[in-house]
Amino acid sequence: MKKKNRAANLLPRIQKLLIYFVLICISFVFLQPIFRIISKTFMSTADVIDPAVEWLPKKFSLGNLKVAANVLKLSKTLRNSILFSGVLAICQTTVSALTGYALSRFRFRLKNFWFVMILLAFIIPVPVLMIPRLMMFVSFQETIHVSLIGTPIPQVLMALLGQGVYSTVLILIFNNFFNMIPHVLDEAAMIDGAGPLKVFYYVVVRMSLSTILVVFLFSFVWNWNETYITGTLLKNSIELLPSKLSLFNSEFDSVASASGSAFKINEAYKMAATFISIAPLLVLYAFVQKRFIQGIENTGITGE
Amino acid sequence: MKKQNPQAEKLRNAEPGPERMTETQNQAETEKTAQEGTTAETGKNAEAKKPETSKSREGSPAKKKKGNAYQRRQNRLGYLFMLPWIIGFVIFTLFPFIATIYLSFTDVRATILGWEINFSGLSNYITAFFKNVEFVPALLDFLAMIIPYTFVVIIVSFIIAYLMSRLTKFRGVFRTIYFLPVIIMSGPVMSQILDAGVSEHAEQVSRYDGLFIMNMIESYSPQFAHTLGGVLDELAVILWFTGIPIVLFINGLQKINPSLFEAAKIDSANSWQILWKITIPMIRPIALVCTIFTIAQLGTYDTNPVYGLIKTATGNMNGGLGYAATYAWIYSLVVLLIIGIAFLIFRDRKEKKKGVRA
Repeated sequence: MKKKNRAANLLPRIQKLLIYFVLICISFVFLQPIFRIISKTFMSTADVIDPAVEWLPKKFSLGNLKVAANVLKLSKTLRNSILFSGVLAICQTTVSALTGYALSRFRFRLKNFWFVMILLAFIIPVPVLMIPRLMMFVSFQETIHVSLIGTPIPQVLMALLGQGVYSTVLILIFNNFFNMIPHVLDEAAMIDGAGPLKVFYYVVVRMSLSTILVVFLFSFVWNWNETYITGTLLKNSIELLPSKLSLFNSEFDSVASASGSAFKINEAYKMAATFISIAPLLVLYAFVQKRFIQGIENTGITGE
Repeated sequence: MKKQNPQAEKLRNAEPGPERMTETQNQAETEKTAQEGTTAETGKNAEAKKPETSKSREGSPAKKKKGNAYQRRQNRLGYLFMLPWIIGFVIFTLFPFIATIYLSFTDVRATILGWEINFSGLSNYITAFFKNVEFVPALLDFLAMIIPYTFVVIIVSFIIAYLMSRLTKFRGVFRTIYFLPVIIMSGPVMSQILDAGVSEHAEQVSRYDGLFIMNMIESYSPQFAHTLGGVLDELAVILWFTGIPIVLFINGLQKINPSLFEAAKIDSANSWQILWKITIPMIRPIALVCTIFTIAQLGTYDTNPVYGLIKTATGNMNGGLGYAATYAWIYSLVVLLIIGIAFLIFRDRKEKKKGVRA
């Protein structure tokens, strides 16, 4: 009897082990480019050329990082990027929370219509919108004689009005979470004499801090990684880390020729620059990853 | 109006001053939009009002009035919170979308006095399709990229999510790993990684050269082996797009009512049958969402060949913007078409099933 039980238990166990094995293999495929970036970053120039060196460098060197940081003007671009993405993320989070709250709590007229519009706003490809947006901002700056193109103002404005990067996703995350907060709490606060904004702030916002953090992080990261809209409206007048990375090759040449040195661009420098530009995001992910996953769980993604 | 609904008045009095101000401002907006939408929205409205009407039928006419006040309050508050988004949508999405369609038929030039827009008929389209040598190949390249990528992303992410949903331990670890690319993925980073892959290729043709199976395939058809090697090389990068679909799929898998699985098990279905008969049909709406998301994400992929063309055309303020609008419009038409096809694929079967049931 017992033996039979064991045999019956064995099969699911093997199955589980197999699943773990497959998932671990997939994880390696996922992480392989990152591993490659990291290994190349710490290789010395001799190791890069040496075909025998595949993953582990023979001699660790920080030279690549130094050169890449110099070319990227790290301290300046890092500060700019953090500030820029942070401001945009705050704007986007606020508006998404308001919109998600409206969709989750109120049965207003045309609600379904607006919901469909929110989804459509996501589907419409960005380039189709960018040309009139650019023209609007250009003609607007000519009428008020304040330069807008080349400043973050257009993007802040768009984020403040809920049209930032992937705003739809952020709204849906909030909507999903607010749907899970019992309406009874709102009603209780309302009976106690709180107005709608008070209810929103003291009941809903206070309860969804982890969701707010998650949405902020998503927004921060997406704004950080966004280059098309930024390239069109900001035009590299504020130096940001990712846009510097996309210009790395030419920047490297100009810096090298200005300093008169015989540096030649190679894989290791490029990978070091890539590493630098993703390092802040990796650090962010490492620190708040737990909150992040908790937040995702709270948004109903695991539904436990 | 104030006399009519004392209930709402009370509620409003309970609110602090400044909020009331914004509300009354908003009321005008609400009523305006409501007037505009009454004809189109009768169906939806009827649906939304159903519970209330059934209530008011039971009660006295006084209660009916209360229901109306409630609805009005819901309208007002809903629009109060939605307002920033709606304004932004109209200014930055709806208007530009329509404007691009118009601009694609025009010749746009920047002058000292502002934008000079001349209607030029179909000439932009003729240039895009017949005179410009770059546009059509770029568009075809884009299609050749987006269709296989989307398939791979959706299928792989579903498999990963399905496997993960069967685990109890270490799920968090895997989710952390699979979600990581979402955080760091950006155009410049991707192109650097792809560049690195390409230069490695130049050194040793393909990393899969030594494998026995690859040698076998190569002996039959070197061409096929080469493309397969290329796909495998890019697989890591393609997999990076699965981050969010995986999360969405896990979300969907866990929302399936467990009693369905229990019922199927009692009816002696094995897990393979359960997967095909219950899990996949139940997950179909989420697969649609994932597909649309993936297409949108791949569309904004920086190495997208059409983007480069649109960018350079946009950069040319003297006469380039009209072409840029044409390119962008054709491009989005293609993307929307693909999304439409995806929609039909996922919708069609559902309706067929409904037909069978009926």
